[in-house]
Amino acid sequence: MPNHLYHLTANQVTCGIRNGEFSAQEYIFQILERIEKVDNKINAFILVDKQGAIEKARSIDKRLRDGGAVGELAGIAVGIKDNICIKDLKTTCASNILESYIPPYDADVIRRLKENDAIVVGKLNLDEFAMGSTTEFSRYGPTRNPWNLDYVAGGSSGGSAASVAASECAVSLGSDTGGSIRCPSSFCSVVGLKPTYGCVSRSGLISYSNSLEQIGPLGKTVLDVVMVMNAIAGIDENDQTTKPIRPIATRTSEDISTSNISSKYTAGQNKRNITIGLVKELIQGADPAVSKCIYTAVDLFEGLDCKCEETSMKSIQYALASYYTIATAEASSNLARYDNIRYGFDYDPEGYEWNTYFSNVRNNFGDEAKRRIIIGSYVLSAGYYGKYYLKAQKARERIRQEIKSLFERFDVLIGPTMPILPFKIGEKIDDPLKMYQIDIDTVIANLAGIPAISIPIGFSNSFPVGLQIMADYMGEQTLFDVASFFEKIVDVRRSPEI
Amino acid sequence: MVEVKIGLEIHCQLTGLSSKLFCPCQCDYRGEVPNTTICPICLGLPGTLPLLNKRAVAFASMISMALGCKVQERITFYRKNYFYPDLPKNFQITQYNAFGITSIGADGKVDLGAKSIGIRRVQLEEDPGRLIYENADVNANFYTLIDYNRAGVALVEIVTEPDFDNPKDVRLFLDKVTSTIEHLGVCDIKLDGSLRCDVNVSLKGGKKVEIKNINSFGDVEKALRYEITRQKTMLIREIEIKSETRHWDDARKVTMQSRTKEEEQDYKYFPEPDIPTIILGDQFISTIKAKMPELPDERKIRFLKDYALSDHVAKVLIDNKELADFFESTVKLYPSSPNEIAHWIISDLLGLVDDSKKEERSLLSGLRIEPKHIAELVKMIDQNKVNRNIAKSVLSQIARTGEMPSCVLDKMNASLIDSESKIAEAIDSIFELEISAVRDAKHNPNAMNFLLGKVMQMTRGRADPKITLNLIKARLARME
Amino acid sequence: MVSKDEIKHLGWLSRLELTNAELDRYVSQIDEIIRYFDKLDTIPLSESEWSYSTKEVSELRDDTNRVFKWGKLQSLKNRKDGFIKGPKMS
Ligand SMILES: [Mg+2]
Ligand SMILES: [Zn+2]
Repeated sequence: MPNHLYHLTANQVTCGIRNGEFSAQEYIFQILERIEKVDNKINAFILVDKQGAIEKARSIDKRLRDGGAVGELAGIAVGIKDNICIKDLKTTCASNILESYIPPYDADVIRRLKENDAIVVGKLNLDEFAMGSTTEFSRYGPTRNPWNLDYVAGGSSGGSAASVAASECAVSLGSDTGGSIRCPSSFCSVVGLKPTYGCVSRSGLISYSNSLEQIGPLGKTVLDVVMVMNAIAGIDENDQTTKPIRPIATRTSEDISTSNISSKYTAGQNKRNITIGLVKELIQGADPAVSKCIYTAVDLFEGLDCKCEETSMKSIQYALASYYTIATAEASSNLARYDNIRYGFDYDPEGYEWNTYFSNVRNNFGDEAKRRIIIGSYVLSAGYYGKYYLKAQKARERIRQEIKSLFERFDVLIGPTMPILPFKIGEKIDDPLKMYQIDIDTVIANLAGIPAISIPIGFSNSFPVGLQIMADYMGEQTLFDVASFFEKIVDVRRSPEI
Repeated sequence: MVEVKIGLEIHCQLTGLSSKLFCPCQCDYRGEVPNTTICPICLGLPGTLPLLNKRAVAFASMISMALGCKVQERITFYRKNYFYPDLPKNFQITQYNAFGITSIGADGKVDLGAKSIGIRRVQLEEDPGRLIYENADVNANFYTLIDYNRAGVALVEIVTEPDFDNPKDVRLFLDKVTSTIEHLGVCDIKLDGSLRCDVNVSLKGGKKVEIKNINSFGDVEKALRYEITRQKTMLIREIEIKSETRHWDDARKVTMQSRTKEEEQDYKYFPEPDIPTIILGDQFISTIKAKMPELPDERKIRFLKDYALSDHVAKVLIDNKELADFFESTVKLYPSSPNEIAHWIISDLLGLVDDSKKEERSLLSGLRIEPKHIAELVKMIDQNKVNRNIAKSVLSQIARTGEMPSCVLDKMNASLIDSESKIAEAIDSIFELEISAVRDAKHNPNAMNFLLGKVMQMTRGRADPKITLNLIKARLARME
Repeated sequence: MVSKDEIKHLGWLSRLELTNAELDRYVSQIDEIIRYFDKLDTIPLSESEWSYSTKEVSELRDDTNRVFKWGKLQSLKNRKDGFIKGPKMS
């Protein structure tokens, strides 16, 4: 039995358990011990379901002993962002408003994970209702970056990225509305995917901005992320915005090469099998510490049968304004339901006039949530609808159209995931606009509904840098092929010292 | 004459559905234990998404078509954002016509004979929950009880243009729309609260006053009359009419200013992102068209043609599907006299229904009369087995007991005396008793009628008056 | 320019009771953000419609009813005689 089972990738874990190298229980005890040991430093977990995890591990071991069948993800420790509902387990969205809320149903992704015999170990920290880019806006305090505990882990799925980076679980689920999976993946040096809009059911994901967000997997390798994606993706009768998706062929970095990457445009040619568009605006807008790292990687690909070409995306100038207009508008409406009557914290409504009661209880929203509710209210109000919300939708359509035309020329588009390196906790918290502006590279994929992945590409000043790869609508296969290929070329995987 | 403009907003529950509009909970909440026909979706629990009901879309399309609307090829939903404790999400999923998006039905027209009423839109939306007050005086309660069983039940809202200029036309329109909805079979209009109507009134092109909370369609006309008089009085006294929402006080039969002054509402409408735009397409629309049941207008034309009814009689029957159906079932049992049957239904049968039942539009529920009764009764009249006077009392007996007419007649021993010999016997005895009248009767028609009356009295009305009169005349003639 | 009154009114519409300190902070922050949004206004309204995700009517949910089975743990609170207790209306 190898030492430090918690360091293994998800694929290694499930293979090891199936091959009898170690049991699911041995593994899960190591994971729980690891969480106990390091999470007081990282603050990735809001809740650890020890009992549930051990019971699940036992049942997997028993079935394997009895020669029974186990699911694709058998034994893998999975952490869940705490805005995804798990039946009979507290789901807080890192908000005071939901501090004692217990969902009566499983999110569709949870149902699928359970069916695939993954072991859910607990709920992970996030910015309140997923609104933020640092995980600082959590009622449970910020999640810390495993590479430097004084720095932010990114957000809003900070707990999802940090827990994987710190080997507190093998893979995790996050949600990505404007970069919330990719940003912390980049900051913590893990792989994180924002799937095509509609590929993964949102049923059970507590809404922040419905037309933009998707649940997606985070892991140590592209393969791990593919495995989880295959388990959670697919049409769901509880989410009418889901679309059917073909299963993704899993390729390990050993068996991927440019010749077997699914490319729309250069199939059949032996050389220069993939065409890559390097988005000029994204590179130019990035901190030199970041762009240098990206260019180094691009040079590596250039020598390896890839055609890299700089390209421009003019509509990017509208992306952030469009994103924040739509996101806050939808958020202001989604968050209206929290009036503490049907569920929430203890606060008897008797004796209160209803408007007073509503205002009192809703005062428990944190600073950023309140700010976004008001901005959203502003852009939707009768006098401004045409000036902001409607225009934001038209800008979104421009971006979509331009992206569409770019994918007529390129298999994938690349650029930095984040324009800057991780920064100190507290550094930007008082300047919301500055904070919003670091989402510039990631919001494009959400606005266009296309898939995007962040993969570790190196380190700059000992902080991780992530490369963002975007593919065409429903182009997950190409995205994963290219990501696996790059992962093989620039293998930077290592573990932070904690 | 002061110019009056009235517009209506009618909410119709699609009680013909099995499940709610956006979740699989049972649609029928009436009589259920509070908060039992609910699920995470209709309670708006975090993470739930609306799951649009296919048949609700079909029903709303049918209503749209029946009201002369064009059914849109693609439909989108909107969020109407406002806070209220009966709204689980503090927004209502509804439809709206703006920014190039329209509700399922738009631009319709309903013919009222002399004029027609424009239908602005027909839209699908969700019903909120119900607030219950333990103390009838709302202000005296320290808390409110909420039952969410109704939350999420499918509603179709019909919004008219402000095309009415008097309350009577409103009544005609509501009768027609009610009958149409009944004929479509999408809503059981007899259920309390299944049809609700809010009205807008403005005078002389002035500010619009909205009246809510009118619980029955019968009160719509009353509320309108009250409100028009109120506003006219204000005009005469030169008091400014403000745009406001008023409530109909059912007990006092007046409109009242709403307790909390609703400030300028801003519903912050925007398209619902959790429901994709639904493409209805030609095939769906033509399937619905093909499946449309016969509507009141078509049915009336058929009644005029097939049964030779008068326009008035046909209208009374068809304004109430229950009556029209009763009529047709009766005619099927006895096809010879549709007109006689129709008259028995709209005058005599309706005469037995009390006004409160008429208001509920549940006309025949308290009576035990079925089509077979009327069929037999009319047949007996046609065969001279009973005269109309007796038939009437037979009918009111049936209404209580549900017996067949022949049975009732037997019991009353009331078979019409049609044998002339029996009548002649009676005439003989009257002629012996009323000698002076007999003498006068030769010249005086009043005396003749007096004798007829006496014979009828003696036979307790069972003698056929025509035959009796002829026999009296013949007897007098013989005496000459 | 976003005004304090405007933020206060939006707060009321969203049933958020903002303190004076919050109001002051939000006014300047939101003003800056809204002004950043103003660049959207350079896009002409005539710009093509935005595209929606679509679904065929045949793909919608069938009208059959099903009883939801609530879990063993209490998700709903403020219950009284089967009702849910809310604040007073007036
Ligand atoms: Mg309505
Ligand atoms: Zn329900």
